[in-house]
Amino acid sequence: MDQKNAGLNISIFFCQQIDPNQDVNRRALERELGNRIRFFPLPCSGRIDSLHLMRALESGADKVYVITCPEGACHYREGNMRARKRVAYTQGLIEEIGLEGERLELIMAPAGLPVNIDELARDLLSSEATTGPSPVRGKTA
Amino acid sequence: MPAKYHIHTAQAANRFQLITRSGVIAWEEGCLKCPSCVKKACVYKVYEKRGIDSRQMLESLDSVCKDCFRCVQGCPKQLIQKGFNPSYKALGDHYWTPEIISGLWYQAEAGRIPVSGGGYGGAFSGPGFDAMWTDMSEIVRPTRDGIHGREYISTTTDIGRKLMALEFDETGALSVTPPPVVEIPLPLLLDMLPWSPPGMGIKLAILEGAKSLGTFAIIRQSDFTPAMKEYLSNIALYIDGQVSDIEPSVLSALRLIELPYSKEVIAAQNTLKITNSGLVTIIRMDLSPDSAEEVVRLTKEGAEAIHLVADEYGLEKSDRPLFIKERTRDIHLRLVEAGVRDQITLISGGGIAMAEHVAKQIICGSDLLSVDIPLLIAMECRVCRRCKEGIACPVELEGVDPVWGASRIRNLMAGWHNQLLEILGAMGIREVKRLRGEMGRAMFFEDLEKDIFATLGRRG
Repeated sequence: MDQKNAGLNISIFFCQQIDPNQDVNRRALERELGNRIRFFPLPCSGRIDSLHLMRALESGADKVYVITCPEGACHYREGNMRARKRVAYTQGLIEEIGLEGERLELIMAPAGLPVNIDELARDLLSSEATTGPSPVRGKTA
Repeated sequence: MPAKYHIHTAQAANRFQLITRSGVIAWEEGCLKCPSCVKKACVYKVYEKRGIDSRQMLESLDSVCKDCFRCVQGCPKQLIQKGFNPSYKALGDHYWTPEIISGLWYQAEAGRIPVSGGGYGGAFSGPGFDAMWTDMSEIVRPTRDGIHGREYISTTTDIGRKLMALEFDETGALSVTPPPVVEIPLPLLLDMLPWSPPGMGIKLAILEGAKSLGTFAIIRQSDFTPAMKEYLSNIALYIDGQVSDIEPSVLSALRLIELPYSKEVIAAQNTLKITNSGLVTIIRMDLSPDSAEEVVRLTKEGAEAIHLVADEYGLEKSDRPLFIKERTRDIHLRLVEAGVRDQITLISGGGIAMAEHVAKQIICGSDLLSVDIPLLIAMECRVCRRCKEGIACPVELEGVDPVWGASRIRNLMAGWHNQLLEILGAMGIREVKRLRGEMGRAMFFEDLEKDIFATLGRRG
């Protein structure tokens, strides 16, 4: 079953540089899925911190994506590389507390193409759900 | 001399982190762990106070930062950068710009006039209200005398029809009954919102705000609930149903009522007057190219006040719309030409986004104005219009606390009131009523352009 139909709560952190029209483009999915999808635009994916990812999981996300610029295209030169390291580090952290590492995933936007956050998010939602609802969900306020 | 009108302000903290113009991008990797880290040396304690709002994953970092760039310049590994925030650029639209929105947020939070400190760095002229400059010939003395109460400047405005002359009978007694007039201490009404998330909180905040300011909030008859009865003396009820559906006790307590424009509106006004003779009726109509003609006709037929409403961008209803200030000038001058300008109160609204728009619109001929979207912005609205599309409000406006909302509205209006006093002081005018229609005290870009360049195109 794909992630959309599996009823998962998805949080997407993404670099705003990949889609200048992100605020408009993401609305269709926001309307369709309501609280089940949450977009968190970042000025640069290098701004992501373990804390953000942990907080997203804590507040009920079953799957968290971090979408970065393509390799070599970061506005701040190496933000996407740093985001990759932080996601890997956080994956280690959540595995230590018994959560599956794949609940966090880093996606690089395709190079050379104009990116629409709506299309990109829909692609992600249509992928096979590898994880079920998070055991954290419902246990926190 | 009556007591000076003063709006009491108090800091009303934001519920959500602000969307700031720039943001800190700091890499942790490669940190040398200097014993005297620039982050610890921050005079504003930006990094020490760092917190995260997990509702939006926005950090406190950016809203506390004052852009002094000490950390950016001081880090030996250059791991800290400051960059423009794309979310800021995406705020609002071409009219409700990020600068306007963030300026309104500041005023609603602090109740103070925003000061950039760096002088005006914007364009020489622009569309709409930016194509107009006010006379500042009296700026040679402290313009803040008005704000601080050292100079008495009145912002009181009357709503209602005025008599042009008093008439007396043979015994010397007054033979005419002066029509009712409602006096408000600042030339602003709080209008119905063009869009907003559902919920009573927003409406109650606006009503509470109107009450504490001493002005009126325009409320739809269909939105009126018994809980609003305590605000009756600050409600201008907009009739969107049958007048017969209004409780008689409510109708007799109202001081202002707004009627939608129709061909029979004067007859409807007269019927209302039978029930409550102290009532002032306002006729609400869309601003359009025919407005001037209609306003002159309604004035001659006995209208008391007319509320002309443009869209949220300040444009009239037309294929080739004029901006609100242009159309208001036209209406005002047509009324002057017909010799009836002083009989009627003109209220205008739509596209009023800044304090300077209030003064400029009054110069163009309005007696007072109605404010709508800025009231929502005062409550942290980001003008994303998601509510209009049925998407959840990112700042959860549907659950807003009316007391907090009212304090934000009061702060914003205090900021606008102070700026109005500043403009009046700088123009040497001590009464806002005297500012109305004072077009000779302003310059209009289009007029100047025509005056200077029109002759250059002539041949022979």
